[in-house]
Amino acid sequence: MKFKESDVLLKIRDLKIQGYSDETWVDIIKGVDLTLHRGEVMGLIGESGAGKSTIGAAAMGYARDGTRIVEGSSIEFDGMELTNASEADKRALRGSRIAYVAQSAAASFNPAHKLIDQHTEAPVQYRIKKRLEAQEDAIELYERLRLPNPQEIGFRYPHQVSGGQLQRAMTAMAMSCRPDMIIFDEPTTALDVTTQIEVLAAIRDIVDQFNTAAIYITHDLAVVAQMADTIKVLLKGEEVEEAPTDQMLSNPKEDYTKSLWAVRSFTVEQKARPKDSVPLISIKNVDASYSNGPKILDDVSFDIYEGMTVAVVGESGSGKSTTARVITGLLPPSKGEVLFKGEPFPPSYKDRTKDQLRQCQMIYQMADTALNPKVQISEIIGRPAQFYSGLKGTALKNRVDELLDLIELEPAKYYNRFPPELSGGQKQRIGIARALAAEPSFIVCDEVTSALDQLVAEGILRLLDRLQKELNLAYMFITHDLATVRSIADEVVVMQNGQVVEQGPKDDMFTPPHHPYTDLLLSSVPEMDPNWLTTLLEERGIDNIGDAAMANIDPDDEKVEGTQV
Amino acid sequence: MSFFVVGYYALLLVTSCLAAYFNQRQAFLVLFSLTLVSFVLGIVGGVPALRAVATCAGLLLFAGMIAYAFREFLIYLSSDDMGKELRTAPLTAAFGMFVIFTYAIMGIFAPWIAPHGEAEVISSAFAPADENMLLGADQLGRDMFSRIVFGARNTVALALVGTTLAFILGAMAGLLAATKGGFFDGVMGRTADVIMSIPSLIFALLMLSIFGGSLAAPSTSFWLLTGFFCVVGLLFLAAAAEGAMGWLIGAAIAVGVAVGLALFGTSIFNASEVILILVVAIIYSPRVYRLTRAVAGNVVVMDYIEAAKLRGEGNWYLIRREILPNSTAPLIAEFGLEFCFVFLLIAGLSFLGLGIQPPTADWGSMVRENATLISFGDITPLIPAGAIALLTVAVNFVVDWMLHRSSGLKE
Amino acid sequence: MGDIIKLVGKRLGLGLLILLIISIIIFFMVELLPGDIAQAVLGQGATAENLKALRTKMGLDDPAIVRYLAWLADAVTFDFGRSIVTDEKVTTIIGERFANTLFLAAYAAVIAVPVSIILGVVVALLRNSVFDKVANVVTLSFISSPEFFLGYILILYFSVKWGIFPSIASLSDSMSFWELLNRTFLPALTLVLVVMAHMMRMTRAAIINLLASPYIEMAKLKGAPPWKVIVKHALPNAWAPIINVIALNLAYLITGVVLVEVVFVYPGIGQALVDAVSKRDFPVVQACCLIFAATFILLNLAADVGAILTNPRLRHPK
Repeated sequence: MKFKESDVLLKIRDLKIQGYSDETWVDIIKGVDLTLHRGEVMGLIGESGAGKSTIGAAAMGYARDGTRIVEGSSIEFDGMELTNASEADKRALRGSRIAYVAQSAAASFNPAHKLIDQHTEAPVQYRIKKRLEAQEDAIELYERLRLPNPQEIGFRYPHQVSGGQLQRAMTAMAMSCRPDMIIFDEPTTALDVTTQIEVLAAIRDIVDQFNTAAIYITHDLAVVAQMADTIKVLLKGEEVEEAPTDQMLSNPKEDYTKSLWAVRSFTVEQKARPKDSVPLISIKNVDASYSNGPKILDDVSFDIYEGMTVAVVGESGSGKSTTARVITGLLPPSKGEVLFKGEPFPPSYKDRTKDQLRQCQMIYQMADTALNPKVQISEIIGRPAQFYSGLKGTALKNRVDELLDLIELEPAKYYNRFPPELSGGQKQRIGIARALAAEPSFIVCDEVTSALDQLVAEGILRLLDRLQKELNLAYMFITHDLATVRSIADEVVVMQNGQVVEQGPKDDMFTPPHHPYTDLLLSSVPEMDPNWLTTLLEERGIDNIGDAAMANIDPDDEKVEGTQV
Repeated sequence: MSFFVVGYYALLLVTSCLAAYFNQRQAFLVLFSLTLVSFVLGIVGGVPALRAVATCAGLLLFAGMIAYAFREFLIYLSSDDMGKELRTAPLTAAFGMFVIFTYAIMGIFAPWIAPHGEAEVISSAFAPADENMLLGADQLGRDMFSRIVFGARNTVALALVGTTLAFILGAMAGLLAATKGGFFDGVMGRTADVIMSIPSLIFALLMLSIFGGSLAAPSTSFWLLTGFFCVVGLLFLAAAAEGAMGWLIGAAIAVGVAVGLALFGTSIFNASEVILILVVAIIYSPRVYRLTRAVAGNVVVMDYIEAAKLRGEGNWYLIRREILPNSTAPLIAEFGLEFCFVFLLIAGLSFLGLGIQPPTADWGSMVRENATLISFGDITPLIPAGAIALLTVAVNFVVDWMLHRSSGLKE
Repeated sequence: MGDIIKLVGKRLGLGLLILLIISIIIFFMVELLPGDIAQAVLGQGATAENLKALRTKMGLDDPAIVRYLAWLADAVTFDFGRSIVTDEKVTTIIGERFANTLFLAAYAAVIAVPVSIILGVVVALLRNSVFDKVANVVTLSFISSPEFFLGYILILYFSVKWGIFPSIASLSDSMSFWELLNRTFLPALTLVLVVMAHMMRMTRAAIINLLASPYIEMAKLKGAPPWKVIVKHALPNAWAPIINVIALNLAYLITGVVLVEVVFVYPGIGQALVDAVSKRDFPVVQACCLIFAATFILLNLAADVGAILTNPRLRHPK
């Protein structure tokens, strides 16, 4: 798709934005140019801290508290310069000609008013429509966005509506004045994959139908590939490159972009279960719940063999982290048991012996909260060695050095540092070293790569793989990211609503026929192909995605029956 | 038009113009609004009012200059890291630090600074100030200035000890509740709720009516103090002891230490003071508990605590190595805040005649003893009251800055 | 709606329970006296006969639990027994004074609440300006000053030096309402200054917290004018924190009133409490403490119930 020069809607030149921190103004955006035409959807992508969201706000002439647009920047919207426009002039644009869709719909709707009242606020204020007309229009938009019960849903309060639906209602609200441009600020980041796909389809349709220009901000390449006509890549407040979507995906120019595209080339050869051996960890018919609450786990059973990686996948609330808590003993199960090499593990970690505790270690998702910021690296890694093996003095120091070598960090340099001085990837490595210091045979990896930038994540996966080979470790890999599963897993367990839906070796799991939920989950994960969403919608049909598809799962299906055994 | 009026306005106008010229918006705003205020007050109240405004402005300027110089002095003395922190301190906080520093000097070196003894009668009642007595004499003819200096020692020391005890009890219980959770946490929380639903002054009056005042018996105060230390010891035991043997040995040590500390305490303070300390410690420990529980509660949910628990670490290690280092900043600020409350409560009780007993020099009681002078337009009773206010204001200024620092730069 | 009634009911029940526990504390605290009440009243030099007589008179021979239940049953009907110093009925001593105290607190509240909430909102809107910083320093100074310091300063200037208001707040029945207001102005003003500082700071914090919510940014980005952002988007969500601030500070007033009454020799319940404490008149002390605690709990209860009632999530359940 090509856009004409005369159709330029938004022209940003040399945009510089500063943020206030530690008593001084620091540059966040360092001179970015951006041109958006009528009807064009531009994807802004980059890692956290790239300044995507700040640029999005600036496109509306808005600087958040604690930030300021530096003089000399130019933001021209449809011929009007926003940097020196009066507050009233800028306000007249917002809501009517430029609209905004926020990341967290649940927090961005006012809890005190009904959805439809918030929807009609802008059109009534700008005297575009009378109140009742605006309400009718809202209902029509709800219908177009395929919200269930469009006649009635608007008269609910925000907390009475689910996350995916709220996000669509917010898109409808942005459309209420038929703006020329909408800023989407990570609209699906907080949603599960199966819900995300509904929202993506709805947003894409409505933007197409009204020929609205949009800036789509996200960190997810596959998502932006579906939504955008052009993609702009940002790094630390500067533009890396910009190109039409097809071109950008097939032929990136800059090294940084290539590195983003190149990830997940890494795959591990699938290992088979060792014959005639007892599983290292065996979860047997486990039920669990939090203090008399509803059942979180319902009859969960699976095995993990020595030296193998089992990936547990599922959406939030599927019970995958709870399973890990049961294994580690943080949450004693209400029924069933956990066996270690055939011997039952005491249900609570408090009753386990030092040796039992040592065998089973954990690596966490957020390295920031997993390491005590006030303790030196040497003690973080040294403490388990000292605690379990009773090492002291030089023996302890040698062990710490050895562990630092193992995770590819130079001992002399990191020995006396504190966690806040390290980067995210380095912190995650320290977390791994702490687990290794206990000399375990089994490690639970809870979303270890999801908070990391892609390249760093790849490095961590390679490290984990190497350690597995060297030390014959078993991993339980909790993740929602199927790319990670593809690269590192030997076996896969799919969970939904606290139950194991399907399990088996990786290759079997990625080849049909699937259990319908596995199928839905696998098909909902966006792929880099820009036509993925279109193809998928054609294949499955518009009413067979997301919640609707979930409801369609036939309980009498052969595959579904099979799991109940 | 006197020389003073002309000079005053000229000075204000010149400085505000200079501020405006050099683009110092805030300074200009302050200076020019001062000019306008002086103008209005000058018309309404004449030269005396103008003089009052000028004096106030001058005093503020003086305080500001002291604060600025003191901050630079501290930055010069301290290490690089500390210096960087100190640079962020607003002038109010620097002023607070200066005042605290002065009070500390005054309290520690009271016998050398004060020209007369604490209870020494040297002239007639309410004698006016002369070269011998800086602030005149009180209702018994004792030197007011000397008593204020000694008051710094008595009142502040009592408040400090009270706050410390409240802190040890409250913080220990809070840390333990956060680490243990479950039943213990629930019981402690409800207990704190109940104690806090009695207004602090009222609760203090109730307890003092029973144990305190001039009728307090030394033996009662000793046993109460021992009991208090035993409770604290029990909390430490619950955190540190492992196994029945550990409990047994720990309990023996705890009781011994408690008796020793109680003996030490009663040898320093007299019976009514010990009761007063215990009363404030009991009243304020639930508040400390609440805050510590909240702060520690935020730390306990961190994954590194989970990692340490799964490693098999005991409560004592968790509290000492993992939780405490991550809660010090808010706890120190809270200590300052609680000190202010305790100090004001003790001052209030003494003012009511139920706190520190005569003849010990104490600011609260001094206000009460000299209150009659107010109706003669004499400001003497305001001096000890002002001394109380100045210290609490100073501590609050410092705490305000620390809270702002520890809450990050969210605003 | 059923949920709300349930929640409010639960909260009320909890309040009653706490009040009951406090009545137990207040009653049995006195039992902790070294010796007993009779001993405390008569002093060390009392003869055994006198002691015995007094004990019988006060019913001290019954077990504590029986006396507690009797005391509680009477207290529910506002009968707190007789003073052991003057032998008057406690209710007669306290009754009128309690009304006076309520009048003073109400007087202060009527001035302080609207002014400080408006000022608090203004300061929150002007945050980080010079005005905000000055307000911060001033309110902090007022919070830190003891009530008697502020009270005596006011007396010194308004009454002794300038002679605008009387310094002693004595009351008599023949006074007109206007004169009453004039007479009690200085004590009320002292309370207002302290409470206002507290309230302004709390209101400011609550409003700033609220203005940081994403839905406020959303309202701004929808082009709502500033007044509409405040009135339509911030205010409906601000009731709970504001009610909380008001109730907490009214509760604070109740305590602050004791010192202020002593400074201004005001015939209120605080004054009575202090007198009773120094004379060790336990029935009066117990009655006053129970009344203060009950008021305090009631106000906290009101804050919680207010917060429940204004929470849209609870008003419109799923």
